[in-house]
Amino acid sequence: IPESGHKYYLHFSTEDYRTGEDAGNCLATVLYPKKKSPPVVSIKCSHTKDQKEIQEEDNRLYQKMKHQNKPITGNNIPDSYGSIELALEPVWALAVAGSSSIMWQKSTETLGYFLAQVKSVRQWIRKDDFIEFDYTVLLHEIPTQEIISCHMRLTWLPGHPLKVKHFCAAQSHALDEGSGAESGSAAGPAAEKGANF
Amino acid sequence: HQVLRIVPQSDEELQKVQELQGLEHLQLDFWLGPRGLGLPVDIHVPFPSLQAVKAHLEAAGVSYSIMIEDVQALLDEEQMEMLRSTRQLPLNTNTFNYEAYHTINEIYNFMDMLVAENPNLVSKLEIGRSTENRPLYVLKFSTGGTNRPAIWIDTGIHSREWVTQASGVWFAKKIVQDHANNEGVASILETMDIFLEIVTNPDGFAFTQTTNRLWRKTRSKHSGSICVGVDPNRNWDAGFGEAGASSSPCSETYHGPYANSEPEVKSIVDFVKSHGNIKAFVSIHSYSQLLLYPYGYTYTAVPDQQELHEVSAKAVAALSSLYGTQYKYGSIITTIYRASGGTIDWTYNQGIKYSFTFELRDTGRYGFLLPAKQIIPTAEETWLALKVIMEHTRDNLY
Repeated sequence: IPESGHKYYLHFSTEDYRTGEDAGNCLATVLYPKKKSPPVVSIKCSHTKDQKEIQEEDNRLYQKMKHQNKPITGNNIPDSYGSIELALEPVWALAVAGSSSIMWQKSTETLGYFLAQVKSVRQWIRKDDFIEFDYTVLLHEIPTQEIISCHMRLTWLPGHPLKVKHFCAAQSHALDEGSGAESGSAAGPAAEKGANF
Repeated sequence: HQVLRIVPQSDEELQKVQELQGLEHLQLDFWLGPRGLGLPVDIHVPFPSLQAVKAHLEAAGVSYSIMIEDVQALLDEEQMEMLRSTRQLPLNTNTFNYEAYHTINEIYNFMDMLVAENPNLVSKLEIGRSTENRPLYVLKFSTGGTNRPAIWIDTGIHSREWVTQASGVWFAKKIVQDHANNEGVASILETMDIFLEIVTNPDGFAFTQTTNRLWRKTRSKHSGSICVGVDPNRNWDAGFGEAGASSSPCSETYHGPYANSEPEVKSIVDFVKSHGNIKAFVSIHSYSQLLLYPYGYTYTAVPDQQELHEVSAKAVAALSSLYGTQYKYGSIITTIYRASGGTIDWTYNQGIKYSFTFELRDTGRYGFLLPAKQIIPTAEETWLALKVIMEHTRDNLY
């Protein structure tokens, strides 16, 4: 749209992350303004899943994680071979949900993300009803192919929206070491030749 | 638990030992039962009974020796040995586990076994060495002839894309099986050769196993930077250094100091040029579920765009027919993004019309960390698409 930016019209279907069942359709418009500000989004979705069923599943998930005698911890989820321990699946599910919020905030018209791996997770036991986790998640950035390491703190109580705080490592000329946090520089002082757009 | 050895020297001693057999509560396990004088009796004694047994023997003046001081330790060691050896030595390519991810050595061992089992069909070529001096091996599948028109397939150029190397191993076995059963690609092998490079980036692959599972590039070092590695899919001489690659050594899409700076790339370039008769070139990546053809470095469509698009449609349909896996297809630049210095842009410009790139499963749920149980389904469906490409090439030689 001349003078305004680019507008996208989207019609997409959604599915349950665990089961793959159809979970409804959405219609959305996304306007990326000419200046680098976040997009303007309007969206409307139809939900095929029953609210009550969702609540029950949430509660089950919550109970599993709330009643631990020791704080849940984990590393490399999934592992190198793509496996996720059964006991860590709920924790992974929360990570997927939480990192989607990070990815939403970071993405632009030309930069997108996938969750590559949960590098580490640690539960913080709280006295109140909320459950809380500290994560290090690795995001795969497209089209730069970079792996971005983000620290995410997530709090949740069924019936409440997920609270996510995050901090992603800046791209730097850091050494590549074993921690798996792939760093690289996407920009130098000179104009980046491969702008990857 | 210990194993004691007694060699009865007299009838009395023999009798004492036989008495032990009757004492069920001791739970003795005779590995070698009493057979006669001068013949060893080996008794596996559980820990709680050790005192009693030794006392019984000593009281009777029967000498014994401790053959095995700690049975459990032996068992543990053996277990470890077994695990180690099943990892190291599947006996042949029929006992090889295609449903698992393997180490470089396991894959190299597989290749040698495949060649040994099928010397009239398969040979192993070393086309060069990596930066860290690892051999770059290519399997050649040929039923004869001299420099027949050929198909090239490579997997693992980006080391973190593990399902690709794993699929490459499966393809190798599949080719041999088809030939043996005179089906599938057997007909293609009558007139064409197939070259398959499974571990195209061995340094990167080793690094993903020892240090960083998400490593993509090669492992070359560059003066002036502490960062390591060049993106081997930005290092080819097609639009090299233009938009669609990075000039920063720390970037995942660093194109390198100059085209073909990476031995992993140069060795393929040299091979393709000296062979001179390669008619189809397929470079395999993951993930995204895409089938792509050139160009990535420019919006200009390739002259053969229409044909490549049609072949892609057929290939993708064949792939989906197996498990319903959905693929998209098109030129690199219109389907994903601009990328310069890419493999198939170069091979196309060399005159290899049927140049394709695959992005295998999945679409982001597991991404690079695709569960091992998806290796075979992925390889099977991809193979159907590869066959479409190979058959079309054979039927449309140029």
